[in-house]
This record gives sequence, structure tokens and C-alpha cells, in this order.
Amino acid sequence: MKKILLIVIIISFQLLAQNKINVNHKYQELKCSTCHTCEIPTKEKPCLIDCPRDKMITIEHKAEEGPVVLTIDRLKKQTDIYKPVIFTHRLHAEMSDMAGGCKMCHHYNPPGKVIGCKECHEIDRNRIDISKPDLKGAYHQQCMNCHRQWSGKVECLSCHDLNANQKKSEKQKEIDATKKVHKKVEPPKIIKFETPKSSSKFVEFLHEEHFNLFSIECQKCHSNESCNKCHYKFKPVPASQKSTLEKHTKCSNCHDTKSNCTMCHSNNAKNAFNHLERTGFDINKFHSKLTCQRCHVEKGKFIGLNSDCSTCHGIWTKDNFKHSLVGLQLDETHLEFDCTECHQNKKFEKPTCKNCHDDKEFPKDKPGKLVK
Amino acid sequence: MLNQSRRDFLKTSTLITSATLGLNSKSKAASKYVLSEDRMGVLVDTTVCIGCRKCEWACKVAHNLPTEPIDTYDDRSVFKEKRRPNDKALTVVNEYPNDFTDKFPIDVKVQCMHCDKPACLSACIVGAFSKHENGAVFWDSTKCIGCRYCMVACPFQIPAFEFEKALKPDIKKCDFCYKDRTFKGKLPACVEICPVEAITYGRREDLIKAAREKIKMYPNRYVNRIFGEYEVGGTSWLYLASKDFEKLDFPKLGKDPAPGVSEAIQHGIFAYFVPPVALYALLGGIMWINKNKKSKEQEQDK
Repeated sequence: MKKILLIVIIISFQLLAQNKINVNHKYQELKCSTCHTCEIPTKEKPCLIDCPRDKMITIEHKAEEGPVVLTIDRLKKQTDIYKPVIFTHRLHAEMSDMAGGCKMCHHYNPPGKVIGCKECHEIDRNRIDISKPDLKGAYHQQCMNCHRQWSGKVECLSCHDLNANQKKSEKQKEIDATKKVHKKVEPPKIIKFETPKSSSKFVEFLHEEHFNLFSIECQKCHSNESCNKCHYKFKPVPASQKSTLEKHTKCSNCHDTKSNCTMCHSNNAKNAFNHLERTGFDINKFHSKLTCQRCHVEKGKFIGLNSDCSTCHGIWTKDNFKHSLVGLQLDETHLEFDCTECHQNKKFEKPTCKNCHDDKEFPKDKPGKLVK
Repeated sequence: MLNQSRRDFLKTSTLITSATLGLNSKSKAASKYVLSEDRMGVLVDTTVCIGCRKCEWACKVAHNLPTEPIDTYDDRSVFKEKRRPNDKALTVVNEYPNDFTDKFPIDVKVQCMHCDKPACLSACIVGAFSKHENGAVFWDSTKCIGCRYCMVACPFQIPAFEFEKALKPDIKKCDFCYKDRTFKGKLPACVEICPVEAITYGRREDLIKAAREKIKMYPNRYVNRIFGEYEVGGTSWLYLASKDFEKLDFPKLGKDPAPGVSEAIQHGIFAYFVPPVALYALLGGIMWINKNKKSKEQEQDK
């Protein structure tokens, strides 16, 4: 009796979960016509558009969410010369991080979970609908597109094992494949560019600062890079052949590259980023522990904040401001005054004593005692 | 006198010529190519082809031609020189450099294009060639007399002759795997083996539609042209490429079928026993003129 009850509970739970997905699906920001051909799709007749779909929707996943290793044996036949490929899915997913992500291979993926090639590509090559390649073609096209570029190799043996080769068990190979990792890419700290100009010849790009200090995601700049950015058989176009506009595209996403050349181009080495030097606002006093995003809320943009304290902190009064935080505990007399009695600018800099005292001056005389 | 007879002679010969020409236009009007709407074809996407040359191997096996083992086809040094299909290899893959240096090379498979209006078929004086309903241009060894007109006529220079054979040499060319495969609804051997499906077998109409869709979706990947859609009146094999076809050694061809005028004249002349009739008419004409001449001379003598 208990068992039955448990099963009923599980089933109802799953049904509820399914319903939940459907509700979400309905409210997704999608037009029905993106996926369905008819106006009112039903469960019985969903009238789904065949893939590939013109408008593609992809849901980004992390590499860890996908399977580690896949054995691609959908097309396995007894007569095959080659063994099925043991595909290091996670390794490839990680590598695609800076390229196009999941959608590099899982193109035209409908919303929801990521689907495999076999869901859309037919197994039989002799087919009616030839608008998309068959499964064998689809697999190979995906692989070869990159593999050809970085290794220049098209031999079957670069991915497949010979069927006659029985040295290692399949299980062992799968285990071996899970251990395969891409050599860790050490991001350079500084990248130096030499330009053909006579003056301001060098551009020292503070690479590390861009992702460590400014927390710019790698993909923001490295978004369309396949393996052959580093591994290539056929040499890439040298920078000298690129147009000025092309060379500056990555920088001009954030920087003004048209009128302000000296920002990046100079004859000397660049100093590390200094907020006071660059903007005139010293963050070392009170703001040094904050991340950039704490003040520069808009992602990836670091320009033009008003340096008045009230921009971020609101209006300070004698009641809501704990003066000891700045390292000076006000004495009882001074605690009674409004902030503006002493601090006459909006930045609450050096106070004036002249309003009340003729013979006193800050910092020689202090309106309280110093605290740590 | 002499002038008179010459004019007569010219008159007769003009008559004969115009008669022949008249017949020509007649034979041109009655087109004998009945092309099936469902005829098949193959779309070659040269941007997908990886140059593994498995198609070359499969073709040789399917046609009982001697071949090296399959793993020797990995040798890419063959691409150093451009090859042509011959009597020992009915299809070959050639490699061309890509315009963008960071891209892989372009591989192009070459074989008989299986024209909708085949020049070889028109040139063949014994009817050894036939265009089948499924699009195949097929050569029949039992009819061939070895004149090699087909080799001259082909705009793609495909038919090859077994020069090395002293006895009963054959014309060799891609036969669309007609007898053993496509006639039975199976795939051609090369299409079946291609690992990347750079060559797609299907209804010619569907292939053109698919090719157009590809060009529309990836305008940077392809030049806006399907080679074989209109060339020499259309071919069963169609090509897509990322580079001008002429730079990939495709011949520069017009839209008119290659047989064109020559075929009309040839077939016109050979039809309705024109040559013997014309010959006898000519001889008769000369006789008649001479006879007239003689009788006039006799009259004058009298």
C-alpha cells in the first residue's frame, strides 16, 4: 500500500513538473510561429517546423552541464572499417567557450534542453528531404570544419580507431577520454603591439587588468575564435593586411578609438591602471576594497560617474553619518553641527574652521580625536 | 553559253542546300529529349568536401577498376598536380588554394556532369549513348564503334578512351552507377561513401532548391551561382563553391546546349536519306545540263 502511494506521489509530482514547464513555455518571449506552422498547436498536432529553422534560439549552457564523453555509435555497422568515435564532449564544450559556445555545433536548437544531431538529421542517406545533411554527413561536417583548420588533417584515423585494432577495451578508452584535458591557457599579462607609425609607436595592452580588475569576461573580446586562433595549418591574415578599422574593432567596443589615440598609443611603457591618475578620483582612501561593479553598475561600462558623494551614498546628515568611520571621532560639541557647517563642498573634503574659530585650522587642530 | 550552264548549276545546288536547311529546322523543332521532372542529380558542395578521396576509391571498386588499398588515398601529395578523369579513374578530386589564407583549401570532385542535353549523345553516330529517365547519360559498349566523336563533343572533356587496349577498347566515363545502383533506386557509390556528404543525391529540382537555400543562408560562404543549373542547357551534377568557378578549372560555358547547331545540321543531313538523294539529284542535274548543252550545240551545228 505504501509503495503504491509513493508511486502515485512521484507520478503526480512529475505531472506537476511537466505542467510547470508548459506554463513557462507559453510565457517565453517567443512567437508561436517560430516553431509551429499552425495557429493553434495542440499536444496531438504540434505542427512543428522542420529544422533548420530560420530564426534560431539557443539556450546557453555551461560546459560542465553537458556529458563528459560520448560514444558516437548511432551509425555503427558490422561491416565498418572504423570504430565509433569516443567523443570528448566536455573538452570540446570547454574549447568552444571562446568560440560560439554550444550553438557552434547545436545549431537551430529549439528552446529547452540541448538536443543531439540525431534528433534532426536522418540516418538514411537515401532520403526524400535533402535540405539538411544526413546524420553521418552532419557529424563529419561539424568535426571537419574545425579539425581541417587546425591540423589540416582529414584522415579517418585522426578520430577513428580501426575496427581490427582490439588492443584496448572500449570501456578503458572511454575512461581514458574522460581524463583528456586541454592544456591550461595562461592568459598573458601584457600584450605589446608595435605599430608602423613613427611616433607613439607602441601599444601596451594591459590584458590581465582587463579581466582581473575590470572583470571583463573573456568572451566579450574572444567571442568568435575557433581552435585555429592558436592551432593553425594555414596561416591567418597578418595584422599588416588588416584595415585600421578592423585592427581597432575589439578596443572600440569600449574605448573611443577615433579621436583619443594617446589613451593607448605611446612611446613608453604604460603604468598600471590608477583611478586617481585617470579620473581624478582617489579610490584608495575609502573605496579600495570595492569591486568596480559596485559603483559602475552598468556592465562593461566604466565611464563618467559623478564624483559627488551623494551620487552613490544619498544625502548625509549628522544623524545618519558615523563620523568615526573616516578615522576621526568628533567631540561632543562638534557632533551637534550639520555636516555643511564645516564641509562646504559636496565632496566632503578638507573642512573649514573659519566660520566659528579665527585661530584654528585643519589638520593642525582637530575637532575630536583620531581613531583607527 | 558557258555562263548560262554555270548559273543553272548554281541554281540546282542552292535548291539542294535550302532543302537540307529546311529539313534542319524541322528536326530542331521536334525535340527528342524528354526530360523527366523527377530526374535525379547530385549536388556537390565544394565548401564541405575535405578531399579525402574516398569517392575515388568507391568508384573504382564499384566499376571493377584496379585500385590501391583505401588507406593509400590519405596521401595528399596527389594534389600537387591537377588530374583529369581517365579510363582508370572515372572521378578525381583536385585541390585549389583558398583566397583567404587562413582557410582550408577547396577540393573539387570532377566526373561526367550528365548533361540534360548531352553533346556526346548527339555526336554519337551509332546511338551508343542514351539519356535515361533518372538523369544518367549511359554509354553502351555493344553499339560503340570507337569513333571517339563523343570525346571531341563533350564540353567537359570527360569521355576517356582505353588507348592501351588493342582489342575492343572501351569509352570510359562516370555512368551515374546506372545499372547496379541508381536504376534500382540506390545511391551512386561515391555518394554512399562520402563521409561529410559533400555530394548529395536527390531530385534535381530539390537539389537546386536546397542549393539556393544554402546560398541564401550563408551568402558569405558561397558565390551566388549554382554551376550546372543552366550551363549547356543544365546538367544533373550541380556545384556550389566559395570561389569563381572559372578559377576552379570549370569551363566557361554558355546556357545553350552544346549540341546546338552542329547537331541540327548533322541529324538533318542524315535524316530522310538526304545525302544519297542529294547526290543523285546533283548528278542528275549535271546530266540534264550537259544534255541540254549537247542538244543546243547540235541545233547550232545544224
